[in-house]
Amino acid sequence: MANLTLKNLCKSFGDVVAVRNLSLNIHEGEFFVLLGPTGAGKTTSLRCIAGLEKPDSGEIWIGENLVNEWSAANRDVALVFQQYSLYPNYTVRKNLEFPLRSRLRRLPGKEIGPRVEKAAEALRIAHLLDRRTDKLSGGEMQRVAIGRAIVREPRLFLMDEPLSNVDAKLRELLRSELRGLQLKLGATLVFVTHDQVEAMTMGDRIGVLNHGELIQVGTPYEVYNSPQNTFVASFVGAPAINLFDATLDGDKLVVTPQKFELGLEAATRARLNQIVCGRKNVRVGVRPEHVNLVSNGGLAGTLYGAEDHGVEMILSISVADHLIRATLPATTRIPVNAPVQIAFAQDNLHFFDPQTTKNLVAT
Amino acid sequence: MADLDLIDIEKHFGTNWVIRKLNLRISQGEFVVLLGPSGCGKTTTLRAIAGLEEIDSGEIRIDGKRVESLPPSERDIAFVFQLYSLYPHLTAFENIAFPLRALRISNREVREKVTSVAKVLRIEHLLNKRPSALAGGDMQRVTIGRALVRRPKAILMDEPIGALDAKLREEMRVELRRLHIENKSTTIYVTHDQVEAMSMGDRIAIMNEGVLQQVGSPTEVYSWPANLFVAQFVGSPIMNVQNCQLEASDGMTKVRLDGMETPFQFGGELYGRVAAAGHVDIALGVRPEAILVELAQRPAYVPGEVRIIEPQGAYDILDIRIGQAVVRARTRSRFVTRLQEPVWVQLDEARTHFFDKKSGLALTSQK
Repeated sequence: MANLTLKNLCKSFGDVVAVRNLSLNIHEGEFFVLLGPTGAGKTTSLRCIAGLEKPDSGEIWIGENLVNEWSAANRDVALVFQQYSLYPNYTVRKNLEFPLRSRLRRLPGKEIGPRVEKAAEALRIAHLLDRRTDKLSGGEMQRVAIGRAIVREPRLFLMDEPLSNVDAKLRELLRSELRGLQLKLGATLVFVTHDQVEAMTMGDRIGVLNHGELIQVGTPYEVYNSPQNTFVASFVGAPAINLFDATLDGDKLVVTPQKFELGLEAATRARLNQIVCGRKNVRVGVRPEHVNLVSNGGLAGTLYGAEDHGVEMILSISVADHLIRATLPATTRIPVNAPVQIAFAQDNLHFFDPQTTKNLVAT
Repeated sequence: MADLDLIDIEKHFGTNWVIRKLNLRISQGEFVVLLGPSGCGKTTTLRAIAGLEEIDSGEIRIDGKRVESLPPSERDIAFVFQLYSLYPHLTAFENIAFPLRALRISNREVREKVTSVAKVLRIEHLLNKRPSALAGGDMQRVTIGRALVRRPKAILMDEPIGALDAKLREEMRVELRRLHIENKSTTIYVTHDQVEAMSMGDRIAIMNEGVLQQVGSPTEVYSWPANLFVAQFVGSPIMNVQNCQLEASDGMTKVRLDGMETPFQFGGELYGRVAAAGHVDIALGVRPEAILVELAQRPAYVPGEVRIIEPQGAYDILDIRIGQAVVRARTRSRFVTRLQEPVWVQLDEARTHFFDKKSGLALTSQK
C-alpha cells in the first residue's frame, strides 16, 4: 500500500474547468472520500489518478513515484466502478483470477488459487466461486468486482460510486463491509461519491469538492461540526442545516424585525463580537438537532409540518417567512398549525460571512 | 374527494403473481403510501386504480361505486407521474389550465381555478414561465397543480420526487405533505423509499412480491412491524436481526445471540410467550436506538467490542461485536472514539422484537 499526493492538479475540457489546482495528501492506509455534487470534478480527479485522464498540469505521486507519465497499467492501482464490468460468461473464480493472469503480473500458477480464495473469504463470496457471474444478485456482483480489485494487492484502490446501483438496505450492509475490509487490509482507498451519508460513515477523511475546487478536507466530525463555508454546511448532514441572514443589533440578532429576533446569551455575544470584526450582517447556521422546543421565552412560530421518521420526529416550523427544521424525540406529538416556541442551542450556532459564504470561525 | 376500496384484487402475468388478494380501504382525505421494493406490485396497483391496467379479479370502488370497467377518463382520478410530463411549449399557466380547456368553461373561471391552485402551491409568480425556465421542484409543483385543478376524486402519485436531488427531495416531502393538509385530497402515493413513506403517509401499506404485508401509521409499522420483511424494510439504519436462543431460568428469560457467553436478561413472561408456544427457530430484532451502550460495566449489561464507528453527524452508529454476532447501535456523536474499545451493552426489552424465522411473523405481545 502507498500514500498518494496530488500537487496543483488541473484539468479542463475545452472551456470547462473540471479540476482546479487540486492539492491533496492521502496517507497510507487511509480511507479518503471525495465528496461533491454532479460536476464537482471528483470523477475527473479519480480518473487522473488512475491514468485514464491526462491532467493539464500538476503532479501525481504514488508512494515515491511521480506517475504522470506512467500508463494506467503500470500505476498498479485497482479501479471499481458503479457498473460491475464483470465477464458474464465466466465463473466468479475466473473473474477473480483474470487480473492475476495478466502479462504484467505473471504470477506463478500455484499462487493464484490461494489469493483468489483469500479474497473470496474476506468478501464472503467463497460459496459462489463456481457460479457464473450473470447468475448473481447485484450485491454479489459488486462484491466480486471489489474482489477482483483486492486479489491484485494493488498499491491503491480507487472506487467511483461503487454502491450507488444497489438498493438501500444492501448499500448499508456493503458500506460497513467495505469499511471493515479496508481496515483489515490496511488499504489506501480513494472513494468518490455524491452521497454525504456514505462519505460520513466510511471516510477517515473527506475532501469536499464543488465546481472543481477543493473546499475542505477533514474528518467526518470536522466537516460536520466546523464546515468551512455554507456549501459544505448544507451539503453535509440530513436534514439540512438551517441557514438565515441576520443583522447584529446590540445583544440580539435580527432576522425579521419584531417577528424573528434572536436574543443572544452573553457567551454567544462575546464569541460573535470576536469574529464579526465590526460587520453587522451574518448568515446564521443551526443544525436541526440544535433546535429545541421550549414552553416560554422562545422564538414564536407555528408548526408547518411534522415528519415521523420512527426513530425521531422532524418538525418544520415557520417563523416569520422562514422554515426552521428541528429534530426531536419520536414521542413529540404536536398538531399541524399549532403555535410553538423554539430556542437554539447557542453554543452550536455557526456564523458565516454572507458575501464570501465562509465560516467566520474558521477564517 | 372520495373513499376508495380495493377488494380482493388479483393480477397475474402468466404464472407470475403481481398482486395477490389485495384488500385496502382508503378513507376520504387520507394520504396512503404504497411502499415496497421494485417488483412488489405497488405501481401495478396504482395503475389498476387509475384504469391504466386491468385486473384479473376483485373490485375497485370509488365512493362505493364499482369502476373496474370504466375507462380512466371516467374514473375522475388524477395521476402524477415521476417524469414532469409538462408541455414544453406552454406556460406554467397553460399547463395547469390544460385539463380545464376540455370542459368548456369560461376563461374567467379557468383563470380563477388556476390562480387558486397556484396560490396553494406558491407558484403564482411563475405562471408565465415555460417549463424549461423552471427549477425541478417548481416543475413538480406545476405537474401537481395540473392534477389538482380539476378537483379530482383522488390523486395518484408514482414516485413523483424520486428523480430530484436529496436536498430538494427533503423540501418537497414537506411541501407535498403540507399541500395534502391544506387540500385534504385523497392521495395514494407509490414509493420504494421508506423515508418518504414514513415522513408523508397518514398510513403506509407495505407490499412485497404482490402481497400486502402490513398497513399502519408510520409509528405502528416502525414500532410494531408485523413480520421480518417490514421490520427490515422500514427504518434506517436497518433493524438488527440475529439468531437467538431462549432459556427459562429463575423466573427470567436468558436471551443469547450466537456465540454469546453472558446472556441478556429478559422478563420471564417472554419464554412462555415465545419458546414455550412451540417456536423453535427464533430471530431477535432490535433497532440501533434500542441498544443501550455504556463505557463501564453495569449490572445486566454484557461485554462487546466496537468494530467500526460510522459518524452520521448528529449521532454515531457503532458496529459492536457480541459473541459471534455484530449489531449496530446508535449513540450520541463521539460517544466512542477508538476502535476495538470494549463497551457494555443491554437491549431495551420493550423495544426488542422476536420473530418466528420460518414464517417471519412477529411474536410480540404489544398492540
